[in-house]
Amino acid sequence: MAPGDVDRRGAGGQDVLRRAGDASVLILTSLAGGSKHGYALIKDIKAFAGVELGPGTLYGALDRLERLDLIEALPAEDRRHPYRITPAGVTALRAHLDSIERVRVAGRLRLGLGGI
Amino acid sequence: MRFVQTALRCYPQRWQSRHGAEAVELARLLMRDGTPARSIAWSYFKGAATTRLVLHPRRRLRAAVGALLAAACSLGVSLVMLSSSAPASAANHRPSHEGRHCVADSTARSPVPIRGTANKPAGDSVVSSHGQHC
Repeated sequence: MAPGDVDRRGAGGQDVLRRAGDASVLILTSLAGGSKHGYALIKDIKAFAGVELGPGTLYGALDRLERLDLIEALPAEDRRHPYRITPAGVTALRAHLDSIERVRVAGRLRLGLGGI
Repeated sequence: MRFVQTALRCYPQRWQSRHGAEAVELARLLMRDGTPARSIAWSYFKGAATTRLVLHPRRRLRAAVGALLAAACSLGVSLVMLSSSAPASAANHRPSHEGRHCVADSTARSPVPIRGTANKPAGDSVVSSHGQHC
């Protein structure tokens, strides 16, 4: 992806992860804390979200995110392929979290739970 | 582990060459942690099906076009059959129609106008096969 594409996504605030699925968001969130391989991703996601991703779901989401240039594979260590988040991935995750935040605040307000 | 390896063979060759070894190792680590082999295999089966669909979008397009064509053809055949059977059914009804007045004719004689027929212009009436206006 050209750097211009990254800028456009950031400027427009387009939520490219909206249709990418929950697994993609969880993986990007995990990779935001540092590069990881498959097993480490599953363990980390279970730790911070309580969700146990199946390996098939994990690889499907990794392929999708890589096609979208939101993550990239690092050189293999033994048989493991670590992945890291790209600048476009950071921008996309930020836009998605902003979108979720707006929904969260609106939902809490409408339920009378307070906006914060 | 046999289930897992079977499931992994369902992935496209390109995927297997890239992720295959890592996927086997990941399955082994997950099983060591207590995840049942069958659930790992099922996850890989689902992933393989999804991957094949995603990697071949043209197949999906072809399938959709084929389904639309099939639907259009079946609709066309149905319409042709209906249009070909309509004159035949009309011909079958004609003898029973003879010898009595059609509905429009009888309502015209009725003292109580029927809604939708009272204000009907005369030009709308058609001549039936037995020479009476309907």
